[in-house]
Amino acid sequence: MNIALVGNQNCGKTTLFNALTGSNQKVGNWAGVTVEKKTGIIKGTSHTLIDLPGIYSLTPYTAEEAISRNYILIEKPDLIINLIDATCLERSLYLTTQLLQQNCNIIIALNMCENLQKKGQVVDENKLQNILKVPCIKINALNNENLPNLVNLINKNMQEKNNINIYSNDIENLINKITDYFTPKISKFCAIEILENYTKINKYNTLILNDNIKTSATKGDKNKVKSTKKECFLSKIFNKNTYNTQTKNENILIENKHNREIDNNTNLIINNKTYKFNNLKSKYINKNQKKLFKKLKLFKIDKNNNENNLYDVPTFNYNLIESDIISLQKNYTLDICHILAFLRYDFIENVLTKCLTKTTPPPKQTLTTTQKLDKIFLNKFLAIPIFIFFMALMYFLSVGVIGKYSSSAIASGFNGLSCLAEAKLSNIGVNKIIISLLCNGIIAGVGSVLNFVPQLIILFLYISLLETTGYMSRISFILDNFFNKIGLSGKSLIPFIVGSGCSVPAIMSTRTIEDSNEKQTAIILTPFIPCSAKLPIISLFVGFFFGSSWLVTTLIYIFSILLIIICAYFIRKFILPSFNNSLIFELPEYKKPSFKYVLKDVTQKTTSFIKRAGSTILICSVIVWFLVSFNWKLQYDTNIQNSILASIGNLLSWVFYPFLGTFSWGATVSALQGLIAKEQVISSMTIIAGISENGGNLIFSPNGVFGFFTPVTALAFLVFNLFSAPCFSAITTMKKELGSTKKTIIAVTFQIITALIIANLVTLFGNLIVNIF
Amino acid sequence: MDNTNIKSLDNLKLNEVGKVLRVFHSNFNLLKRLLDMGLTKNVFVKITKLAPFKNPVSVAFRGYEIVLRKQDIKNIIVEVIK
Repeated sequence: MNIALVGNQNCGKTTLFNALTGSNQKVGNWAGVTVEKKTGIIKGTSHTLIDLPGIYSLTPYTAEEAISRNYILIEKPDLIINLIDATCLERSLYLTTQLLQQNCNIIIALNMCENLQKKGQVVDENKLQNILKVPCIKINALNNENLPNLVNLINKNMQEKNNINIYSNDIENLINKITDYFTPKISKFCAIEILENYTKINKYNTLILNDNIKTSATKGDKNKVKSTKKECFLSKIFNKNTYNTQTKNENILIENKHNREIDNNTNLIINNKTYKFNNLKSKYINKNQKKLFKKLKLFKIDKNNNENNLYDVPTFNYNLIESDIISLQKNYTLDICHILAFLRYDFIENVLTKCLTKTTPPPKQTLTTTQKLDKIFLNKFLAIPIFIFFMALMYFLSVGVIGKYSSSAIASGFNGLSCLAEAKLSNIGVNKIIISLLCNGIIAGVGSVLNFVPQLIILFLYISLLETTGYMSRISFILDNFFNKIGLSGKSLIPFIVGSGCSVPAIMSTRTIEDSNEKQTAIILTPFIPCSAKLPIISLFVGFFFGSSWLVTTLIYIFSILLIIICAYFIRKFILPSFNNSLIFELPEYKKPSFKYVLKDVTQKTTSFIKRAGSTILICSVIVWFLVSFNWKLQYDTNIQNSILASIGNLLSWVFYPFLGTFSWGATVSALQGLIAKEQVISSMTIIAGISENGGNLIFSPNGVFGFFTPVTALAFLVFNLFSAPCFSAITTMKKELGSTKKTIIAVTFQIITALIIANLVTLFGNLIVNIF
Repeated sequence: MDNTNIKSLDNLKLNEVGKVLRVFHSNFNLLKRLLDMGLTKNVFVKITKLAPFKNPVSVAFRGYEIVLRKQDIKNIIVEVIK
């Protein structure tokens, strides 16, 4: 049996999923942690459980929500577990009202009831069960409370089906009328969607037009005057209706309604001039779009954001029911899609008056922990300094405090193990080549990377804490205004922060961005954030040339943010602009991070890093060792300049010449290996340096392969490695999320060119500064 | 009736409670999302937090909070209750 886990964002679906299946999927305290459907087997049964991204309704708003919608509507699970956050009953049950219309068994699982109790309320699940006619059960996903009972419920496999009427009779009649127009009959849910789309198709409203014209006035310069005139006129209507009328509210709304009816006829005649409202918006946008198409043909503007919306609403001739809709809209003085939402909430409110009881008198008007913390973290003046402090602290701890030891360990060459092994093995009389492979290849290559594990643990721990406490959404909130100015939204910050751990999940988290152009911009720019694999590179160079200064590291981080800002502004302005830039996300309550999950998360990330060192890096190290130790005649050659790798590197070293100031094959091949994994750069440099100097002990020893590095060129080389193309796994993810190979190639080329430009600038200005002082 | 009682949501002061009369947005998808999230007629709303530079704002209704930009809520009409 396929069981889908459906619920609002951030209501604990993945926590429940982990508890039921015993898997270890990522959880966090922000909306949009899960962006993919994940499957697992419920422990002790043969049922497949599918964890879906959180949704508020079956109307998708972003790409990851479309996944959930498509799964529910197309693949049709055998059973839906509707997980409900008891602290947000009204909003959670809204989704339930839509799920109840699906031809599917549902179990309602009430999560976080203890938090509701703290608010002095208790929900009666039996009453809820009787009203909604589906089984309800209270659970606690975090403490595994009542989960066996939930599994029992699943196994019972009840087939009880009762249609409950959510809407008022007139709406139900209209829904039936629509379903009757189709042969075979369409589902009730489909009919409702048709009704809702009526509002979308009929651009109706003066207020809405007012908004549109403002947008187009700022966009289309030629028509500015013309549209401003209309805007004035329209704002008069707006004012008349909403502000200056001396009548009661309802009258205002009816009058609004009246205007809308005129608009439904698409023309409004004022001063003998006919204004075509329906076409207004599309006209302006088309003009702009044409311009933009000319600007860059490669990135096409997605006309509708619902590209992932596979489940299509059938086309319907609205003329058949137009009179019904208009009379309904008149009765309710609301648009049809508003009426439907209103009635659903009305239904829910009625249900809840029966099911919710107050246990204790409502808590005193003291501030909750969340409010207290927000007073500090979201303080007008303190918010941004606190954010900067947190980010600086992350780099101070990981690079400054811990990194000092790991980078000195690696920069001082080969650790004791390597020398010890070399001595021991040569004593036994093992072949020279094998000793070299073991000590200079494997131990040096893998060991150099493993050196950085302690500081990565700190980094992972920090990111994990950011994600589980609920501060992440606050960062979006604080910086949205600023990011809005450069054409991104606060939501794009989440990929950037997740990206300091790893670009792959970060690029995937861009799915929560609703605007496809903004999403693409975020995908292209996310790899600019130094990820955990780039941290060893930073540590090594900063450690050797700048004395492990956390200040330099933080400056590099700030610089990457600046670069993102500049690039974002450029891309959003000239290549990927959008017309609708809105923002909507939930601000979760602060939660004490679960020690268990933070530990699991950090362990998982660290082990995957170590595993990579044991697999990818190990193989690469052996290959690099081979290429460095042998010449083209496949003879073991101690002169490194004759090696295969040297000749390959020499072919391409001209790319790096401008900013390194020398043709260095070693730096070239190492940077190239960054494509496999960024930490491989370090591994490769260690091996090359180790082999080139017999018994040498410094990667950057003055007469070694990398002896040419000065602080300036080191910085330039570092910067190149940070901003050039990310590793293959990140590129693959980019391709998956951008949905096109062409776009991916453009994006990667853009990153490489940017990296080259920045690296050259660093050398140029760096040398200038050095010369002055 | 005092017409100053009726404002657009972005003009609602911090911690002022308003009752929603009308929800509009030119972007249908966002309008639908607002309605789905429970910002419907007769709902009580309160602006609980302002980001630095007063935009975006955090709007509380139906027991939770969502972050919205001021330009997105200027066409939501509310009646000030207190």
